[in-house]
Amino acid sequence: MATKVKNEPFVAYSESAIRNNLSIVEYCRTSVAAVSGCTAGVLGLTGLYGALFFIVAVTGFWFMLLGKAGIDSWKKFFISRKSLLINGIFGHFFTYILCWTFIYGMVHVY
Amino acid sequence: MSADLIVDPQIRFWVFLPIVVITFLVGILRHYASILLSSQKKVEMQQLADSQLLLRARALRENSGYIPKNSFLMRKQAFNKEDGYLMQKRPPVTQNMMTDPSMMTDMLKGNLTNVLPMIIIGGWINWVFSGFITTKVPFPLTLRFKPMLQRGIELSHLDASWVSSASWYFLNVFGLRSIYTLVLGENNAADQSRQMQEQMQMTGAASGMPADPKVPFKAEWEALEIMEHQSKLFDAEDVLQE
Repeated sequence: MATKVKNEPFVAYSESAIRNNLSIVEYCRTSVAAVSGCTAGVLGLTGLYGALFFIVAVTGFWFMLLGKAGIDSWKKFFISRKSLLINGIFGHFFTYILCWTFIYGMVHVY
Repeated sequence: MSADLIVDPQIRFWVFLPIVVITFLVGILRHYASILLSSQKKVEMQQLADSQLLLRARALRENSGYIPKNSFLMRKQAFNKEDGYLMQKRPPVTQNMMTDPSMMTDMLKGNLTNVLPMIIIGGWINWVFSGFITTKVPFPLTLRFKPMLQRGIELSHLDASWVSSASWYFLNVFGLRSIYTLVLGENNAADQSRQMQEQMQMTGAASGMPADPKVPFKAEWEALEIMEHQSKLFDAEDVLQE
């Protein structure tokens, strides 16, 4: 029995620490959405280019985060790698659209 | 950009920017006003004890793998036996919202910080900044979005991606949510849309108060009862030796 379970060892996480990590990541991702929205607005991206820019920014941030946490050791800090990328993406997209529209309006419309 | 419509730059500084700033600052003001007005909820001793009891039961359930089976069974017995913790009888809690004066003041304060500013600021913005085309969203939209984005302007030939001032205000109200989280920290009171949802739920049940401890007790009792102890430390010696 020991050999059977050994393939998937139990990992114990501290719940409050995980939650703390996630909330910090949430702050970072909001900032990324806002800053990338402003960038897209200043650059004057329109239509699909803006959406692509958002995807590039978020994925870039994801890679940076994984790099910071360590390619091998991210499992120490987060339970799932995918949820770091996916969680709350629509909320961030809304923030991005707001900043994008705002700066685009300030710079390019008038 | 393709200037199919030329907008007066004055609008940018006297309509477009003020709406963003006003929405943002009103949110911050609401946050601090609600802190000022909020009253500490009085918690009954019994209720606190009950919720801690539930937390303990859950902790036992989640971390049972780290204690020997014997200890787990003993703890389970303490919770689940005939007169154990989870089988305690509680007098049924009847809370009448309307007769409880503290509830009424809470609701009044909630209305004072939520609904009133919403109506006043929204109406004021609609009144002062009505009928402007403020901005253009940088992506094409279908005609369906016209009533959403061009409130207050009834021009059937206008491209759907232009945004009127009233709609720009509403976009801000809903879009600034995560910015508030960034500025004020989590669980802030600045967000109007979240507050509205809470208002909706308030009508259903008194929020925050576990009305009857019997139900969660029963659920926890069942969860403990069907739980099977499985040690996570069975290979601790091997790991140590390696």
